[in-house]
Amino acid sequence: MNWLIEWAGYLPQLMSGLGVSLMIAGVSIVAGYPLGLVLSVMVQHRNLAVRTLGLAVVEIGRGAPALVILYLFYYGLPKFGIAFESITAACLALIWNSAAYSSEIMRAGMQSVARGQHEASAALGLSRGHTFFRVIMPQGMRSAIPGLMGVAIQMFQGTSLAYAIAVPELMKSAYNIGSQDFNYLQIFALAGICYAAISMPATWITVYFEKRLARHT
Amino acid sequence: MDAFSAVLQGLPMTIVLTLSAFAIGIVGAVPLAVGLSSSNIVVRLACRLFVDLVRGVPIIVWLFLLKFGIQVGTFKFNPVGAAIVGLGVVSIAYLAEIYRGGLESVPRGQNEAADALGLSRGTTFLRVLVPQAFRIVSPSIATYLTGLLKDSSIASTIIVAEMVFQSQAFARQHPTMEGILPYVLVGILYIVLSLPVAYLSRSLDARMRKAVYA
Amino acid sequence: MTLSEIANGKLAPRTGIRLDNISKRYGDHLVIDDVSLNVEPGTVTALIGPSGAGKSTFLRCINLLERPDSGTIQVDHHTIEPGKVINAKDLAALRRTVGMVFQSFNLFPHMSALKNISFPQQKVLGRSKEEADERALQLLERVGLKDKAHQHPGRCSGGQQQRIAIARALALDPSIMLFDEPTSALDPEVGLEVLAVMRELADDGMTMIVVTHEMQFARDVSDTLVVMADCKIIEQGDPRAIMSDPQEDRTRRFLRAVLER
Repeated sequence: MNWLIEWAGYLPQLMSGLGVSLMIAGVSIVAGYPLGLVLSVMVQHRNLAVRTLGLAVVEIGRGAPALVILYLFYYGLPKFGIAFESITAACLALIWNSAAYSSEIMRAGMQSVARGQHEASAALGLSRGHTFFRVIMPQGMRSAIPGLMGVAIQMFQGTSLAYAIAVPELMKSAYNIGSQDFNYLQIFALAGICYAAISMPATWITVYFEKRLARHT
Repeated sequence: MDAFSAVLQGLPMTIVLTLSAFAIGIVGAVPLAVGLSSSNIVVRLACRLFVDLVRGVPIIVWLFLLKFGIQVGTFKFNPVGAAIVGLGVVSIAYLAEIYRGGLESVPRGQNEAADALGLSRGTTFLRVLVPQAFRIVSPSIATYLTGLLKDSSIASTIIVAEMVFQSQAFARQHPTMEGILPYVLVGILYIVLSLPVAYLSRSLDARMRKAVYA
Repeated sequence: MTLSEIANGKLAPRTGIRLDNISKRYGDHLVIDDVSLNVEPGTVTALIGPSGAGKSTFLRCINLLERPDSGTIQVDHHTIEPGKVINAKDLAALRRTVGMVFQSFNLFPHMSALKNISFPQQKVLGRSKEEADERALQLLERVGLKDKAHQHPGRCSGGQQQRIAIARALALDPSIMLFDEPTSALDPEVGLEVLAVMRELADDGMTMIVVTHEMQFARDVSDTLVVMADCKIIEQGDPRAIMSDPQEDRTRRFLRAVLER
């Protein structure tokens, strides 16, 4: 019972942190997915230079830990005189992350479109642009939906790393409360519940979409 | 000391964290995966809830919870202990889900054939389903290992002296342009380290496809 | 030695099977409607009919891969009432007596052909590895696939896989064999290899129940033709008689559709 009362007291402070977390996650998705689409086209491009650039951006975004990219933006770049607010650095790092991950999912989605669709488009005399935007992309995107939802959840959880550069998001709010009264167990458990309250239903919805998609193909 | 050797100082700890958590996960996920595929609905739902809860909470929260929140008598986790246990538990949940997917992707006919032959449930599971499931999921397991390698960097936030922690320390002592170097180097190092695993995953993928289907 | 002699090491015991009032529904959907069938020892029963008639489901009820909601199954002095609790011993006895061959072969892809046949013998009958391997090799030779013993199923053609699957089922000394559309997944000429093996098995006197679309096989090999439609048996009897002069309109329509193709 005591826990519940204390939790009720902590909740308002945590909620403002959660708002910041959701905001960062939202930005990283809204900006990251279109970039991801561009990257997915780049890595399939005929031009070697374009393809290499795309690959490099994707591989770094996926291969380096999000925390490292975060530090690079927040602690690294200022040494060259390029300084960001902590929240901007967090957004930029996560945008890179989400663009890289989403591009791989979109690319896989588009490559899963049956060969026959390319051949049929070519036989009909559709231009490359039309073939891509009107035939391949709509089908590929459909199968990419569950994967993209998964990346969105991953991004939301990734916002917790912004704690490390003192962005006042959910994790940081929890830490601040904890360092006032040292009730670390309660406060981090509550923070965990806040994250889970969003991630878990989102996962279930993703699984539902996955199953629906599997049934319809 | 230059940036690269500073980063390298953290390499052993990064590897220890990654491999310890991986070992915990590989073994611990087995009973959980069996529970996830259990025909008993209570067992199945309890395991499902555990997996979804563990995966629904960011790793950094688990690490802080273990490091700062757990105190039983005089026992408290040291940073490395908290990191290994935290990453290990998260691995258990993720790998159990991978195992379960593998078990489910074994065609139904395999179960039916085993039933029709009169094989016992245990024999069917261990000798028919598991070997096929393992071949199917071994590339995903390798991919998860590369994810775990990156996630081990989060241990730096609870002061475990792995690669990112060492990079931070170096950068703090070098306010000049040189200070960006450790971040670049450590990023590259993670990518380089995951290359052999990614390569293994790809060749496993090809080999396992052949082993099962050809 | 004949196929079933190799399987048994002696002449196969002639066992029949009797099914009474079998019904099965999925939710509200009736799939088997009070079907009874008596199969005499050493006879071949061909089960034909339009798709969706319930033939495969009925066949799978016989060895309880599908659990009927009601009815009784009598085999080898055992009476099983699937509507009630079935004890593990009865189930094991039933599955030991009845062998099954599937449309999609269902060989274990991670085991060689030899292991596919030898492994169940060791687990189910408790045979030693040497004995089981020897039996497996004999059977493989008999179905013409001795050279494939150490290949994995993925390296065998469909017809070869199905013959290995037949050998796998025979290795457990069944006295009744069920075939669920054994040639439907195969090219016509490949199907012939499989049908030849089945014909040989029938000549040996194995009790067989075969769901099939192969009308010629049904006419030439089976002793009894059973026509199923709409979850029921609508006609059964001598195959030549039914094929030349079906009594039921539904049978006539089905036969015309099949034969005119």
